[in-house]
Amino acid sequence: MDAVSNKTRDEKDTKLLSLKDLLELIRPFQGRMIIACILQTISAVASVVPFIAVAELSKVLLEQGPIDTNAAWKACWIAFFALIIRMATTYCAFYISHDTDNDFQLYIRRRLAKHLVKVPLGWFTNRSAGDVKKGMADDVMHIHYLIAHAALELLTAFVIPVVTIIYLISINWILSLVALFPIIIGIYMYIRQLKKGLKLMDTYTDSMGKISGAAIEFVQGISVVKTFGQTGKAYNRFLEAAENFLSVMWNMMKSTLRITSFAELLLTPLIALVTITSASIFAIQSGLMEPVAIVPFTLLGLGIAAPLLAMWYGGTALQEAAVAATKVKALLTTPVLEEVSSCNKIRGLELEFKNVSFSYDNKTNALEDVSFVLKPGTTTALVGRSGSGKSTVAKLIPRFWDPATGQILLGGVDIKEIPSTILYKHISFVFQEVQMLSATVRENITLAKPDASDEEVFKAANAANIHKRIMELPKGYDSVVGTDALFSGGEFQRLSIARALLADTPILVMDEATAFADPESEALIQDALSNLVIGRTLLVIAHRLSTIQYADTIIVLHKGKIAEQGTHTQLVSQKGKYAALWQRHERSSQWFPETRQNTNHLNPQLISK
Amino acid sequence: MLRQILRILDTDAYKLRWLIFVHFFSAVLQGIAFAVLVPLLRNVFERKYEEAWSWVFAEIAILVIYSLLSYWARLTGLKISTDLVSRLWKRLGDHISILPLGWFSGGQVGQVAKLTSDGVLNVMGVSTNLLKPLMEAFVTPSVVIITMAIFDWKLALAVAATIPFIAIAYFVAEKITHKFDDQWYMASVNMSNRIVEFAQAQPILRAFNRTNNSVQHLDEALLGSRNATKKSLSNGSIGQILFLVVLQAAFTVVLFVGTSSALGANIDAPELIALLILVTRFVQPLMDAGGLGVASRVARNNLKRIEKLMATPGLPEATHPEKPKDTAIEFKNVSFGYDKKRTILKNVSFKVVPNTMTALVGASGSGKTTITRLIGRFWDVDSGTVSIGEKDVRALSSHDLMKLVSFVFQDVYLFTGTIEENIRMARPDATQDQLEYAIRAARVDEIIERLPNGLATQVGEAGGSLSGGERQRVSIARAILKDAPIILLDEATAALDAENEALVQEALSALSANRTLIVVAHRLQTIMAADQIIVLDNNAIAEKGKHHELLGSGGRYADFWREKERAKGWRIKSNAVS
Repeated sequence: MDAVSNKTRDEKDTKLLSLKDLLELIRPFQGRMIIACILQTISAVASVVPFIAVAELSKVLLEQGPIDTNAAWKACWIAFFALIIRMATTYCAFYISHDTDNDFQLYIRRRLAKHLVKVPLGWFTNRSAGDVKKGMADDVMHIHYLIAHAALELLTAFVIPVVTIIYLISINWILSLVALFPIIIGIYMYIRQLKKGLKLMDTYTDSMGKISGAAIEFVQGISVVKTFGQTGKAYNRFLEAAENFLSVMWNMMKSTLRITSFAELLLTPLIALVTITSASIFAIQSGLMEPVAIVPFTLLGLGIAAPLLAMWYGGTALQEAAVAATKVKALLTTPVLEEVSSCNKIRGLELEFKNVSFSYDNKTNALEDVSFVLKPGTTTALVGRSGSGKSTVAKLIPRFWDPATGQILLGGVDIKEIPSTILYKHISFVFQEVQMLSATVRENITLAKPDASDEEVFKAANAANIHKRIMELPKGYDSVVGTDALFSGGEFQRLSIARALLADTPILVMDEATAFADPESEALIQDALSNLVIGRTLLVIAHRLSTIQYADTIIVLHKGKIAEQGTHTQLVSQKGKYAALWQRHERSSQWFPETRQNTNHLNPQLISK
Repeated sequence: MLRQILRILDTDAYKLRWLIFVHFFSAVLQGIAFAVLVPLLRNVFERKYEEAWSWVFAEIAILVIYSLLSYWARLTGLKISTDLVSRLWKRLGDHISILPLGWFSGGQVGQVAKLTSDGVLNVMGVSTNLLKPLMEAFVTPSVVIITMAIFDWKLALAVAATIPFIAIAYFVAEKITHKFDDQWYMASVNMSNRIVEFAQAQPILRAFNRTNNSVQHLDEALLGSRNATKKSLSNGSIGQILFLVVLQAAFTVVLFVGTSSALGANIDAPELIALLILVTRFVQPLMDAGGLGVASRVARNNLKRIEKLMATPGLPEATHPEKPKDTAIEFKNVSFGYDKKRTILKNVSFKVVPNTMTALVGASGSGKTTITRLIGRFWDVDSGTVSIGEKDVRALSSHDLMKLVSFVFQDVYLFTGTIEENIRMARPDATQDQLEYAIRAARVDEIIERLPNGLATQVGEAGGSLSGGERQRVSIARAILKDAPIILLDEATAALDAENEALVQEALSALSANRTLIVVAHRLQTIMAADQIIVLDNNAIAEKGKHHELLGSGGRYADFWREKERAKGWRIKSNAVS
């Protein structure tokens, strides 16, 4: 719960993006937006014309004496053509703005993709893929209202009343003011409401987030709850959250109910109808106006508020869109890893950590003054409790993050000074969590070398113990992962090993747990790994100490610092941290669960007969 | 759509009916208020101001009633939607509670969670936001036409004649949009998937993809989504154009027929003018109706999904629940598959003696986990029986069954709340001693010592703030406190570091003492110590027995054992063959 409210608090702090930022975002589409706006303006003007034409027509028809037939038909035709123009322009403006929005979404998403491939890899580990998806798919989609509607609706809400009022004033200015009166109050209340709404929006999204959280927890956790016979309780918790949400909602809505209803009423055609008819009759009786002048007022006066009302209904969408645009903008300005285009010559393949310190939060150091050297062709193992910093060491090498101080040198050159394409020609990694693209098996294996020949691919797959399995698939190497071929965890591991084999980098960072990722096919993965590591400089994050017994160097990390360093035999005889870990490992590899122990346990709940 | 909502509202359906009626009535009032313009204007043109004023007063009266009704409708609409949501949540919740446990292990959890939150809230909007504009778009014009008939039936007929065309155009437009909706939906799902892949695979994309076309798949998906939207836009707009053109034609017909009758003196000018005002007015709400179609379609789709979820059959509960005799477990000719195409278990039979350990071994997908889940009745078997203490699990009450078994699986789910709350949920009435024992036995004491808030530490959303091993220990403490006589254990501690592994093992030792234990076993020691080993292969039991018996027979188990032994001896070394 805390996490949720913190998040919303953060969101509150971020300011909505400025108009300038927004214009910057949509710059490439300005031309089309302007065309859409022009068309919309024409449409707005044209939408008033038929009303004016009908008003003029009635003037003709009500004229004393013989009717001017030509004038009557002329008015009809004007109305007809105005309507045609209106429909054509409305439609074109709609189409252009939506089409622009569609292209804009593609453009922004491409820009995001282009930008995000440059941000530090660590950025991706700090957030779920779902967050990225939310930004790139959902938020971009929510900007829709801003691009496709906001400007056009604003224009309509401005142009229609203005044109209408100008025409009406030309007939009778006093009455025009009367007709405007409720609308002015309406606008005032609209703005007030909008401001208030922005504030309430926070409460609303807050409780909305809570109820979503409760729903997700209820559905996801139900299988656990059920096995503990606590369904009722968890369910009540969910219902409680629901009740709570509803009462928050209810109070919120109730507090604005009166003003909303009132403002809405002010803008309904009915109120315009009453004001205008009574004022007109009064004016006619007082001799201020000709009876026929009531027609334009009833015709046009009723329509002034409609576009405003539409804007009102769009208010929420506008706020959402503005928030979404702000988030997208923030995503686009995520700091990127600085990238050099060329570098000094890399001399040799020695990888060196030189006084490296690193912190995830700028408060506590995850690594402190770590120095070591990986000599070409040697195996180095990182050992330590969880949180000791061994994964951090491994992830600094492929530049998930950059060290705060100190340097990581490859062949004497700081890896920050090496273009990533060159860096990754030297270093690759095999981690526990395998990543496969939904593409063909071949594409997945040849990621690093798209032009690899069949022989090369087969050789790598063979060495990774997966060739046979692939050939058994109906489409072989052209099977699409996840669609044509469902691989088990161990098979995924072996595919990723084939990929690393083909990438053929001299330095390899690997997580030892990979070898045990799939208990059913451990031996197969291990054989593949053995083939992969031959002749490479190897850095291993170790979990099972027995597997790294023969490493050339074992580095024991403790709280971000190197505590011990040496070979297995050296470290065991030192009787330090490593020796203790080793002992523990030995013990746990002997362990098995037992049902007939004599541990004193709770009063065993015997089953009733 | 409304019918579905009425069904959900059940006993409160009458409220919604009232609301619909009130909206209908308001729309009618509005129509009448417009129609009143006809006599009003005629009186003005004929300079009969007294009478005109009385019509104005009529308008004011209508306005007052309309306002009161609107206010009432708003309030009631809000009440009803609150009610609707609360009922929907309750009904969904009730149903989700009785769904078979196995149902939740599928991919639909996220979707259902989304439906339960966003989906329900979307449906809520129907009675507050959608009902009124929908009514006004369709009812008010109809009333106007009917009242027109009173003044001039020919003109009314001309207008009425256009209605079928407008309706047809509206539905055609809807249908076209709907057709491309599916394509658009597929494209956006594809795009979402590619974005997720893009984010997840970022490390390998950068490390391995040196040709810089790492975004190629993503880009294709982005383009695909753009093109699908474009297609749905241009095709959808065909419908829209049609609708607009028909509306335009309707208006033109009235305008020209009206003018020509007025010129031919077939109709009173004031009447025609009033009628024209009405017609021009009623084009507007109809043009707005296009937008409402989208909103109502979204709500309809959500309702459809909710109904589909409600239609998923729950697990039948025994009417006269029986009590098991002991904790012996028996599978008798059990066959089971998650769907018709894929059989997971074929004719599986075995017995488990109380207080013994049975190890399940076999390749992935051979059905080991399924066996443990069938004991907990995550699903019901297709044929055969699963029994505990000589009673079919289907004959036990789910409450009793759940009391009998504890699951310790790899994927640990912890709830938002404190560590203590998470452990206590296993037995809310546990004494402090029992709680402390469980905490000690599961070695959670080692965790809480390190945390500043101790037992009161919030575990964060879905247990996120503890490490994998720590979460596992909390879940074991939960199982210890629950103290069920049957333990179903999935032994997959591969990802734990040495220290956590030892602690988890200590916790498991405390848990399994004097219990009936069924283990999905991976470790050689565990398998060797088992009282019974069941080897699964090709969805059936290949071999069954003790370690030395099976090893001697030289079958599947012997192969399995050899592989395991080899894996155990594996060592990493880059510059020498291990």
